[in-house]
Order: sequence, then C-alpha cells, then structure tokens
Amino acid sequence: MRRVGLAGLVVVIVALGLVVRPVAQGTSLTILSREGRKPLAVTSINNQDYVAVDDINTLFGTSSREDRQAGGLTIAARARSVVLSENQNIVSVSGRLVSLPAPPVRRDNRWFVPVDFLPRALSLAVETRIDLRRPARLLIVGDLRVPRVVARVDAGPSNVTVTFEVTPNTESRVVSQQGRLLLQFEADALDLAIPALPPQTFLSGLTSGETGASVLLTMGPRYATHRLSNSQADAGSGRVTIDLLPAATELTAAAPAATPGPPQPDTRPMLAPQGPSTGVRTVVLDPGHGGDELGAQGAKGTLEKDITLSVAKRLRTLIESRLGLKVYLTRDDDRTMSLDDRSAFANSHQADVFLSIHANSAVRPALKGAEVYYLTVERADAEARKRADDDATVLPALGGGSRTINLILWETAQARYLEQSSALAGFVERALSTRVGMSPRAVQQAPFRVLVGANMPAALVEIGYLSNVDQETQLGSAEYQDLVAQALMDALVKFREFLEP
Amino acid sequence: MVAVGLAYLLMSGLSKLLQTPTPDATQGETTAPTPPAATPAVPKIKATLFFASEDGLRLTPVEREVPLADGPVAQARAIVESQLAAEPPASLARTIPAGVTLRGLFVSQSNEVFVDLDPAIKTGHAGGSLQELLTVYTIVNALLTNLPTLQQVQILIDGREADTLAGHVDLRRPLRKNEGLIQSTNATPPVTLPPPSPQ
Repeated sequence: MRRVGLAGLVVVIVALGLVVRPVAQGTSLTILSREGRKPLAVTSINNQDYVAVDDINTLFGTSSREDRQAGGLTIAARARSVVLSENQNIVSVSGRLVSLPAPPVRRDNRWFVPVDFLPRALSLAVETRIDLRRPARLLIVGDLRVPRVVARVDAGPSNVTVTFEVTPNTESRVVSQQGRLLLQFEADALDLAIPALPPQTFLSGLTSGETGASVLLTMGPRYATHRLSNSQADAGSGRVTIDLLPAATELTAAAPAATPGPPQPDTRPMLAPQGPSTGVRTVVLDPGHGGDELGAQGAKGTLEKDITLSVAKRLRTLIESRLGLKVYLTRDDDRTMSLDDRSAFANSHQADVFLSIHANSAVRPALKGAEVYYLTVERADAEARKRADDDATVLPALGGGSRTINLILWETAQARYLEQSSALAGFVERALSTRVGMSPRAVQQAPFRVLVGANMPAALVEIGYLSNVDQETQLGSAEYQDLVAQALMDALVKFREFLEP
Repeated sequence: MVAVGLAYLLMSGLSKLLQTPTPDATQGETTAPTPPAATPAVPKIKATLFFASEDGLRLTPVEREVPLADGPVAQARAIVESQLAAEPPASLARTIPAGVTLRGLFVSQSNEVFVDLDPAIKTGHAGGSLQELLTVYTIVNALLTNLPTLQQVQILIDGREADTLAGHVDLRRPLRKNEGLIQSTNATPPVTLPPPSPQ
C-alpha cells in the first residue's frame, strides 16, 4: 500500500520533469539512464536507506539466488556475480571485496541492500558507471553528463537576476520563445536545484525544461528583455547569469555593457572627455567640516573648512568637464553639517563613489604630505552585515503587489564595499604621490564616522598638513589645490577602469 | 508544536538565568591587573602610558608608575587619570589637551569600558584626523594595554555619547586596541607587535 503511494508520487515528479528536493528520507531514488528516468523505491532500515534486491533485478536485468543454509545471496549479472551474506557489511564482487556502510538485511522473504551497494558493488558487476547524488536523490547509470545546476533568483528594484552555478562547467545557450526563455545545456540531464521565487513581476516561473537538460524561465508582465553573461565561477564550475530587464530608457545606457568592446587603450585622461560609464556615473564629494566646525587651523590662520570646499569645487569642475560624470557636493558653501548627513547625502544621490576631503594637523610642525584613509571594520560589524544580507524584506509596492528589498544597517553599510574602498584608496595614493607627495603614513584604515554609513566605495583624503608652515601656504594656493584636484580625478579614472575593465 | 515552543522558551529563559551570575565571576577574575610594586607608603604599579612619537605619526609607549587601586574599575580609573595628567618625556609630545579631567568610568558586564571625559577634550582639541586618532587611541590603548581583560573602550563626552572628538573618529561605538598606531621601542619590551613600517 505504502509503496504504491510512493511510486505514484514519483510518477508525478517525473511527469513534471523536476527533481524536487528536499524529499523526505526513505521515499525513493530517481534512476537516470539513457532510457530515461525510473523510480527506485527506498526503504528505511535502522536509519539507513535500503533498496530491495528484487527491484535491482528488475531494473538492471540481474538475477539472484538465495542460499538459505549459508545465509547468503548471489546476484548474477552477465559476467560477474556478487555474493552477499546476511549481517556482513562486506560483499564479494567476483572475488573482490567491497565494504558497505551497513550489512544486507533479509526481511519478509526479501533481501535489502544499502543504497551505496549500487555505486560500490553493483556497478562493478554490471560494468557500468553508477553515480549516486544523494542530495538530489539521483542515481545516474552510465556515462551521462548530468551537471549540477543550482539556480538563484535576486530581485532588485528594476531588474531580476537569475544565476545558475553549473558544476562541472557545461556549455549552454538561451533560446527565446514567446514569453519564455529556455536555457539549454550540452548535457543528458540536469541535477537541478530551484529556489522559491521571491515576490517580483519579471519572472513567473522557473522549472525544468521538457528535454530534461534545460531550464525554462516563464516571464512575468514587467519583463521586456534580458542580458546574458557566462563566466567561470571557480575551478571546474561555470556561472550563467540572466538579467531580466524592464522596457525602460535606462536600458539604452546599459546596452554597451552587453557587447564588450575592445579593451580601452592606455588613456591619458586629461586630454579628452570620456563618456558616462555604468560603473561610475555619480560622484559625491564631501568638503570636510564647515560652519561652526572649522576643522584644523594653520599658524597663519588658514582654515581646513575653506581649503576643503575650494578643492572640492575645483575637482567638481574637472570631473564634470573632463569625465562627464554627475558630481554633487555635500555642502556648496560654509555651513555646519553632521557627518551622518554627509553620508546620507551620498546614499540618497546614489553615488558610485564617495570622497571626503580634509586637511590634517599634527603635533610636529615638520610633518607634511597627503594621506588617504578607508574604513576599519571590526569583525562584529562584518558579521552583522552578513546577517543583514541574508534578511531580504518584502514591502508592499505602489499599485499593489510587493517587492523584496535588502535592508542594510546604517552602521554596516560601508562594510560590503571595503574591498573596493581599499582599491579606491590605493588609486588615490598613487595619483597623489605623483603630483603632491605623501606623508609617511600614506594609506591607512581608521574608524572614521563619515565613512561608516556610506553605501558605496568611499575614502577620506587628507590633502596636506596645515600644521606645517610651508604646506599651509601651499594648501591656500590655487596651484596646489589644482594639483590635488587633478590627482583625485586621475584616481577616479583609474578606479572607474578598475570597476569596468 | 506548542509544547515544543514552550519547552524552548523555558530552556532559553533558564539559560539566561544561569548566565547572569557569570559577570560577577569574571569581575572576580579581572582583579589581577599588573603585579604591585613593593613600595610600602603609596602602593604603585608600573603601567604603560602613551605619548605622540618624535615624528608625531604614532604613539610611543612609556612606562610610568600609577597608583595601585582596588579592583579593575578603580584601576582603570587610576590609569586614565594618570594618562590625562602625565607630562611627556622631552622627546615626545602630549596627545591630550592639558586640563582634561575624567568625569566617570564604568565597566560593563561584557568588559567594555565607558570613559566619560569633560568637554575640554573636544573644545581644547587642535583638530586634524591624525591628532584625533592619537588622542582617542591614547586613552583606548592605555586601558587595553594595561588591563588585558578589558575588551573595548567607548569614550563619552560630558556624560553623553559623542559622534566624534574633532569630526573624524567614530565614537558612537566601542573601540578596540589599535596596535598599528603604537611605535615599538626597546624601553618597554612586551608591549605590542612592531607596527608595519610604511617607509
């Protein structure tokens, strides 16, 4: 009775063309072979998965003969035979001993063997490869190419990204049918894991395709087009990424990324204006201090807040005219502004880069040169960030439905960009060192408040020491300020190339 | 299902109850800071205090005598007070504006120290991110170097949480010891690892 029910379930699963998991222990395995898919009933004995020997005989064309006196069983294949003994977890395959995780069991006049018997012993007897994929509850018989494909669906505000990790890396192509995309792999079948779809309106279904070695994406109302990319994930694995995009003007700007052009020649960024790019489009510059907060002061009365504003304005002009990027200043005049408001400004303007500009002061008047900082993050913060990444929140959307957004803790926003921020700091250091010279502490990490909440690559630049008499004069001069601005623009160009090689 | 939930609640409640006595236990353990020096009249211990290095870029550890106090909280207070008042040796410089006083000091159950300083630490500060780093980490490093059971230090100003001292270093959260700012010297052997030299 129970077996009939299970078999029925398996038939339904096979008819759907899906290997659904997780399946409760002790239900069944799916046998994949050139002939197609067949179910193999599994019985749980002592918490081990067992299969019945008579089922094996039916499926593999073997025959078995019991020796009641010796308490043994012989399974005969074409050329070889396997000898089993009750309660012995070692079997003999034509004289070769093979161990099993548990002994064969005789129950109700039937013999049962642990599932591992198939890949370990039976495969030798029938001289055919048998591969057990336990998580997928698949038994692959013969030289079939059955890559493991793990799908992931990430819903963004204006797109949905479907990623397939493919192990081993397998050729694939996408066929577009009306309202559907079929991702076909050069394989015999797929060991496919499909997640539940997050709430969104680009993708209404993600299922196994009819051919068995394909995945079918059924599109939702917001889908208009897609962008495909293939990459090597890591050793032996490949990754197929399909971006589902809406019909919107933003696509025209993004389109060049789909067809990578020739690598950019060694550009001298100062000479010609460069077009907008997908990696860095908006820059927020933060002139340090302001208003009541004077910042550091030089002996001749030069104020940090004035120098930083002047340099930021020069840099804005340079970037806008030479690079054609959008540039916003957190403050355009002499005003007091909290540090959190500054990073919030960068976040709300969706900046791709945040640069906070400062001038330094030291107890030793001899100290001079520029420095660049990016954020130190304590381990606890990194863990909090990871937790925040796992918690997608579903919010009701305008006009009905809902959308999934990733809520990021303010306190940990910068943590996810540390690697890029470190690269940014490196480019700033190299550019500044060629034009104005660095202090002995050129690149540093520090827990600077203005960087904490920045939800993008961010760095803080100290452009010189007001406590050094010569440097105070320099910092107040247009020449030095222009040199700093040039250097920071060079760094942004390098950083942009780094983001979009 | 409900029973399982109840059982879980009970378990977690119980484990919380069981955890409460531990802070007392750890406080007991922390009463072994640095061994007392055998000066009979005013008991003193040797402690490491910090000053701006000769080049002004780092913190130089200097061994000084500070009063021996009863228990880790009182000892922490004595160390901060000594650091605030300490005059540097000729080649080094102060990192903390003169005249700053300690308003209060608390140690949480998780061995976080809250150091409440008077507003002079902010108003008397010359500014600049390097100076600010040196000021903040003088206090943090002095506590965490001498009292290793303490984990982190949060600086309060005038009894309140502060954003920063002078516009840079985030004081909204407790800070750990900053080894990178400490300059290695031969005078005080076991202080820290030598900082990576940027030269």
